[in-house]
Amino acid sequence: MRLRARAPMWARDRPRGRATLPLMRLPRFLTACWGLPLVLVAVGVTTAILLPFRSTLEPGQVMLLFVPTVVWVARTSGMQASVTSALLTFLAVDLLFVPPYYRITVSSPADWVTLILFLGVALAAGLQTGHMRERENAALQRQREIALLNRLSSRLVSEKSVQAMGSFIVNEVVAVLGAVVAVLGARRAAMFVRSDDGAAQIVAEAGAGPAGLAERALADWVIRNDKAVALTVSDEVPSALRPVSVGAGEAIPGVVADGAYVPLQTSDGLEGVLYARPLVGSAPALAGARQLLAVANVAAAFLERHRLEVATAHASALRESDRLKATLVSSVSHELKTPLAAVTARVTGLLEEGENCGPERVRSELAAVSEDLGRLDASIRDLLDLSRLESDAWRPRPDVYELGEVLGTVARRIPVAQRARVVFSVPDDLPQVRVDFNQIARVVSSLVENALEYSPADAPVDVGARVLGYEMLVWVEDRGPGVPDQEKQQVFEKFFRGSASGASPAGTGLGLAIVREIVRHHRGRVWVEDVDPHGARFVISLPLEGTV
Amino acid sequence: MNEPGPGAPERSVRILVIDDEEQIRRALRSVLQVHHYTVDLAATGGEGLEMAIDTTPDLVVLDLSLPDMSGLRVAEELRTWYAGPIVVLSVRDGDADKIAALDLGADDYLTKPFSAGELLARIRAHLRRNSPGDSSLREVRAGDLIIDLARRKVTVAGEVAHLTRTEFDILALLARNADRVVTSRMMLEQVWGPDYVSDTQTLRVHMSHLRHKIEPAGGVPRYILTEPGVGFRFVGDEEPASS
Repeated sequence: MRLRARAPMWARDRPRGRATLPLMRLPRFLTACWGLPLVLVAVGVTTAILLPFRSTLEPGQVMLLFVPTVVWVARTSGMQASVTSALLTFLAVDLLFVPPYYRITVSSPADWVTLILFLGVALAAGLQTGHMRERENAALQRQREIALLNRLSSRLVSEKSVQAMGSFIVNEVVAVLGAVVAVLGARRAAMFVRSDDGAAQIVAEAGAGPAGLAERALADWVIRNDKAVALTVSDEVPSALRPVSVGAGEAIPGVVADGAYVPLQTSDGLEGVLYARPLVGSAPALAGARQLLAVANVAAAFLERHRLEVATAHASALRESDRLKATLVSSVSHELKTPLAAVTARVTGLLEEGENCGPERVRSELAAVSEDLGRLDASIRDLLDLSRLESDAWRPRPDVYELGEVLGTVARRIPVAQRARVVFSVPDDLPQVRVDFNQIARVVSSLVENALEYSPADAPVDVGARVLGYEMLVWVEDRGPGVPDQEKQQVFEKFFRGSASGASPAGTGLGLAIVREIVRHHRGRVWVEDVDPHGARFVISLPLEGTV
Repeated sequence: MNEPGPGAPERSVRILVIDDEEQIRRALRSVLQVHHYTVDLAATGGEGLEMAIDTTPDLVVLDLSLPDMSGLRVAEELRTWYAGPIVVLSVRDGDADKIAALDLGADDYLTKPFSAGELLARIRAHLRRNSPGDSSLREVRAGDLIIDLARRKVTVAGEVAHLTRTEFDILALLARNADRVVTSRMMLEQVWGPDYVSDTQTLRVHMSHLRHKIEPAGGVPRYILTEPGVGFRFVGDEEPASS
């Protein structure tokens, strides 16, 4: 039923993009459908050409002149047509070229000899060209098959995405198999993969026509039963790869398969299904089936490789996340426990001393406790901030501010004892910036804290800003040892401890990772450069576009 | 500014602390008692509201995260009859909550963790505003800045700063509320009038001019800090070291 509906669509439905249709193909196709008319035309045209000369030509000569026509018919249409044309030619010559004209006169034994000889020539020519054509065809097919497999296997290695590979495969099935194998020529092809729940999931489709209603159901069936649908079994296919043939309608009662469903099988199991709906509705020809299976094998190999790659990548991501977690736990427990231990020691010490301890000593111990608590708070803040940034729970809520407003808050957060060390110098005419106030204040505060910590206790820290092109640069500069070139990227990594940080670095090692993350959210950049003669300058750039 | 020195005896002022965390309640009680405040403690919103009726505190410290009802509800209910200052405590960067609390009638907020010095400075600032002496405040000094509220004259390091009328009104409003957040809405309402409460852009322009006239060179404000999303805060003389 579906074939009747589809057959007339052929000319329109031929896959596009194949300008180099083989020249052989058109007449061959014509003879398949129009064999008799072609013979009639060929013989008729030759007769018409020779008719004016019938008075001057001997019947034997006329027969000879018909030989090329018969051989051409044999070459293009095979033996059946060639014999038909030989018989027609004999009739035409007898009727039109042998007197008495317009009457069949096969009377003399010589006529019989001529007829038999002529038929023999036609038969021989037909047989020979038939063989030639078969060999030629086979060679051509093999060549195309190899070219197709070459293309597929080069993709097999380079292609990373299942979607891209799937779409490449189905397009090849439609284009190449459709071009070479007239019978199987796929009108539509699709590739399914087995999803996690075992159902068929389409990854690519090509060719004309909508997806049939039964397509998904049949693909599901193939995946569950590991059997091909509507594909002839052939001895040429190695038995290991040979699909079990299932007659149309056998797979799912009431559902008629309209094409071939080939399971994509690997040693590990079923990866998916390759589906091809034939151009002309008959059992797929041997060669077509073999090619489809070859493509299916490549597709299966690709899917298996891809699955293994994904599994490997997942495993290494898990390992990396485990490593980070371990680092986090050790860093966190150290950073949280140390100040807590110090506080506990000092406070219990004071309690022990009781009455004996003078107010001066209480005061200095409490100042130290307060400092430890500050460190504890900073560590907790770092951890919370980074996890909120990474989980996208702390998105910037930008508004328009003057940079000075942000720096005012930064200045306020610097411990009073250190405030004199930090020198702010910001031009009065800076444009306003569109930023998340709290986040950018956090960034500059982090950089200032770092600078204060990594430079000599009496060395100044400079904070500056200027406009460069479409960006605003904000920098924090210290007179410390600087950051070695090989660490200039790494300093922004989580938990990275620079060589300058010494034996017992303070902080979680998350500060600069938080800086980078916030700046990234603002579509800006952050980097560190050297200061002459020594020191580090951390620079952030914020885009000015979209600001007022 | 005319603050009593630390440890100086103050009038017996009642402060109600509503916080569900035992440690915080205990810590606040000892800190406040040392500074001669009378302290009442409540662990839940309901308890806090009842206690407020019983004790009529001079100031309420209210934590926004309470077990029984939201701190915002407590602030809202309290405001229906209570006129004294309410200082809310919030977790870090709970911007939306802070703003909502201010809108519902809270007077200020503090972000946890805060130092005792910070809290005491805020409490003093709010009690001062509610004391009868407030209207007679004639002059505010902070660093190099002298604001003569009576004569409408401002000097920065001895030099007279020429402020426009609007700029002076803004500065005076902030200075009268030194160390407390003043919302943009409140500033617009008091300086321009109730019809202008949404014109924050105008406010920003005047703020910018004002800052250029009174703030030290170097582009970093010292006196007027921006409270992002909320408003501004005038910073008086250095608070007791908070670290």
